[in-house]
Amino acid sequence: MSKTYVEDINRNVYDIKNEDNYDYKIQKGLTREIVEEISKQKKDPDWMREIRLKALEAYNNLELPTWGPDLSELKMDEIATYVRPKTGMSNSWEDVPEDIRNTFDKLGIPESEKKSLAGVGAQYDSEVVYHNMKEELIKQGVIYTDMETAVREYPEIVKEHFMKCVPITDHKFVALHAAVWSGGSFVYIPKGVKLEMPLQSYFRLNSPESGQFEHTLIIVEEGASLHFIEGCSAPKYNKVNLHAGCVELYVKDNAYLRYSTIENWSKNMLNLNTKKAIIGKNAQVDWVTGSFGSKISMLYPLSVLNGEGAKTEYTGISFAGEGQNLDTGFKTIHNAPNTSSVVNSKSISKNGGKCTYRSLVKISENAKGSKCSVSCESLMLDDISISDTIPVNDVQTDEVEFSHEAKIGKISDKTIFYLMSRGLSEEDAKAMIVRGFAAPISNELPVEYAVEMNNLINLELEGAIG
Amino acid sequence: MSDNLLEINNLYLNAEEKEILKGINLKIKPGEIHVIMGPNGSGKTTTANAILNNLEYTKKSGNIVFEGEDISNLKTDEIARKGVFMSFQLPEEIPGISVTNFLKYAKNKMTGEPVKVFKFKEELKQYMEQLNMNPQNMERSLNVGFSGGEKKKNEILQMLVLNPKLAILDETDSGLDVDAIKTVSKGIEMFKNESNAVLIITHNNKILHNLKVDYVHVLVDGKIVATGNQELATIIENEGYGKYK
Amino acid sequence: MVNLNETPVRTCEHFKINNIKLENVLFPNEVEEFRNINISKVHSNVNIDSKTKKVKLAYGLSEILLEQINNNSNANINIEINSKTNNESKIEFKLDKDNLNLIDNIQITANENTKSTFIIKYESENNIEGYHNGIINVNAKKESEINIIVVNLLNEISNNFLAIENLIENNAKVNFTIIDFGGKNTISNYYSNLIGEKSESNLKTIYIGKENQILDLNYIDELRGAKSNANIEVQGVLKDNAKKNFKGTIDFKKGCKKAIGSENENCMLLSDTAKSLALPILLCSEEDVEGAHSTSCGKIGEKELFYIMSRGFDVKEAMKLMVRANFNGILESIKNEELKNQILEEIDKKID
Repeated sequence: MSKTYVEDINRNVYDIKNEDNYDYKIQKGLTREIVEEISKQKKDPDWMREIRLKALEAYNNLELPTWGPDLSELKMDEIATYVRPKTGMSNSWEDVPEDIRNTFDKLGIPESEKKSLAGVGAQYDSEVVYHNMKEELIKQGVIYTDMETAVREYPEIVKEHFMKCVPITDHKFVALHAAVWSGGSFVYIPKGVKLEMPLQSYFRLNSPESGQFEHTLIIVEEGASLHFIEGCSAPKYNKVNLHAGCVELYVKDNAYLRYSTIENWSKNMLNLNTKKAIIGKNAQVDWVTGSFGSKISMLYPLSVLNGEGAKTEYTGISFAGEGQNLDTGFKTIHNAPNTSSVVNSKSISKNGGKCTYRSLVKISENAKGSKCSVSCESLMLDDISISDTIPVNDVQTDEVEFSHEAKIGKISDKTIFYLMSRGLSEEDAKAMIVRGFAAPISNELPVEYAVEMNNLINLELEGAIG
Repeated sequence: MSDNLLEINNLYLNAEEKEILKGINLKIKPGEIHVIMGPNGSGKTTTANAILNNLEYTKKSGNIVFEGEDISNLKTDEIARKGVFMSFQLPEEIPGISVTNFLKYAKNKMTGEPVKVFKFKEELKQYMEQLNMNPQNMERSLNVGFSGGEKKKNEILQMLVLNPKLAILDETDSGLDVDAIKTVSKGIEMFKNESNAVLIITHNNKILHNLKVDYVHVLVDGKIVATGNQELATIIENEGYGKYK
Repeated sequence: MVNLNETPVRTCEHFKINNIKLENVLFPNEVEEFRNINISKVHSNVNIDSKTKKVKLAYGLSEILLEQINNNSNANINIEINSKTNNESKIEFKLDKDNLNLIDNIQITANENTKSTFIIKYESENNIEGYHNGIINVNAKKESEINIIVVNLLNEISNNFLAIENLIENNAKVNFTIIDFGGKNTISNYYSNLIGEKSESNLKTIYIGKENQILDLNYIDELRGAKSNANIEVQGVLKDNAKKNFKGTIDFKKGCKKAIGSENENCMLLSDTAKSLALPILLCSEEDVEGAHSTSCGKIGEKELFYIMSRGFDVKEAMKLMVRANFNGILESIKNEELKNQILEEIDKKID
């Protein structure tokens, strides 16, 4: 198993806590004054300040969801929504302060930048501390920068797209995001430009009792192609941290975007994230998502297939252990003829963890000739865990092919016996089956990330199986 | 210490409440090929599972000794690592794990030594050619979507790679056409030497047409009711199990 | 406006499936005795009386509808089964201009080791605006087996509400077959509590929705007993502007070791304005179980249609044949030939 069997990594890599050594940390809570102060600190143009204030109003008017995980432990009064690290943005690792650089070093970011990435962004708490991209891409007109720079330097493009794909009134945490957003990446791929290597943004939240609200805006013009990877992690604290990012993807006619995420937030994190793609004619968006961390996750990427022949695929795995409630899934809306979607979701629950697959497939009246197939598989590793599947399938026209399948169960004793008869211990046998179960997802990831994912699985399984 | 590789001594065994094995005795020496024949439900597969201590079954009395050591209560993987291999009647499918990776991992567990990738792949390729297997199967998920014949050949491939001291072949010949049975017999011949042994479990004796065996045991209703040489198999083929029931 | 038929767990309200909201439905509160009931072929070991009994449901369609049953029911049927041989009984309700409103409360106790079959049929005269709110509450005691066929042939301007609830004990088996063809709004709930070891609940439904009919089916099996077994099989057809919400839940509760649950729903769409909404839920808090669900949806396969037409059938006939074929597996569980023929005729009428 050259790829899957690597030495166990030390969990400490993710748990390195740097001193909460910020340049500026806003007072906890969420008021008009706080939002205005963030806007001032960030030197927003007026239009952005207005969006923030409008979003705050929406936040105050919207209710918490009446479904899904219990969010009562989230107290906005105890969360600092903006923490500026003690450094500016730089395009050389040398200029990043040592403690922050060390963190990213240990997470392997500069290393993979050298080996296999076309560009890297790194965010620490509320601000991006590093952004760089290969020279030749700049010449081709590719833009890859932090959101603040984008607001400053490409105001027209940002104005046209920012919170236009995801409306600020979509749900309470999107409104929160729009009110206090900071950091994130802006990507613009010009017409016909196809990137061979991925771009990666990594988000690290270090400061306790704080939130991260990065905004990712990606525009892939006609016929262009991009693989974007986001990674995220945080050290564990006793009180909750909040992540409410927002990802807006515009994928124009005949373009392609693959969006991969390895999410490994610490287990005190509430991860209430929003991702949405608007997909043009014959264009395609593929989501690949591995959810391992966080205490509560609510995340359901949405693909809107607006152009005829548009396609989307979702490949996701979640792995919930003790104290975790991972409520994840996928939404897709077929809005044009001959569109297609494929969903392949897997989940693993152990040690009292809860995984929920929640989804929506909507095939609108004008989506004649569309196809959708959904497959969900859930694995229960013990009898104290929970695994739920809650998919909604809304079909509004007849000329469609729609199918949905889901299965739930445990690892079969017969399979374990078979592997043990080949010399594997029971633990090894179970771990092998779990890795095999997750393989369709790890196979979709670049090698380094597949290795990271398998390491995470190994970590999660350690001591859990017996 | 006796020179037996395997000894089963007066083994009684239950599946849940039902008694399946009712006093099995069997001794296998290195260099021998044994056959257990018997009608459906007589306890053949159970005997194989008992040797590898499948926890679906409960041993009531008696014991199983391998190379002088009582292995009755060892874990399945410990028994396997001592050199006992079983070819399954219905091999399990393991999605997401390729044949190559699986065997490399298992080989490493068996020998405790790192496996040299290039050499290993070459060895695997050779075995696969000899067993008329499609080399592309190497990268496919273990047994997933394999035909019945491919699964059985894959079991023989695993036997050759893991090179055990005792290979138990549970109905490896069933459901195979004449050519495939020949291939399986060839695999057994490739494996067999002076110091190892084979226990073949079958309900027909097609495989015996291509293979010379030392002992044939007839298992009926949880007991070995007759033991003989290859001729016994021919008698059974002609007359059936009627007289033992 | 009322909210009915809440799902056991909620999902995002934008998906519009957590419950069904109905406007302009009148819930009559002054009703006269319902006289057009026909109860036939009752075996001597099946006791029936018509005492009013208050019911409590673990699930049900809503408080309002349950209260109406408890306060205003106009047809009470209490059945106690002691028969060891399987005999068929029939209960037929027919709504007409003198019996517009039916509020029925059917309580069935299948005693230990008994076997029985019931056909419960709801029909209505054409052109009357009827109203039906009913409960069928079954307690299947140890080792009993009960088969119930519910046939809804109400007209398309009457409202139809039905809540079915089963408590299933050790080794008991409850088989329901539901034929849902009628009703302006047909809102039905099926809830089984599989409390017994090796208890079994099998629900098979066929539905047809046409014109502006709305169907909201909320089926829930809660598996609690070890080795319990629950199956939901639904086959349906929608045409014109009909709309269907299927909500099916298999819920493996802690302790139901080695339980098996499956659910399958298939919807054939015969028009491009029919709407099929499905929410097949699997909930699992136990490790050693096997659960599966599948739903599918689409129009009749062109190839099959062409094949049948090449044998001399016109489109309508070919469609009828395909629908019958899809329903056949479920119709086979109806042993009463007369009833089966009536259902087949209804299918043809509806598809025409």
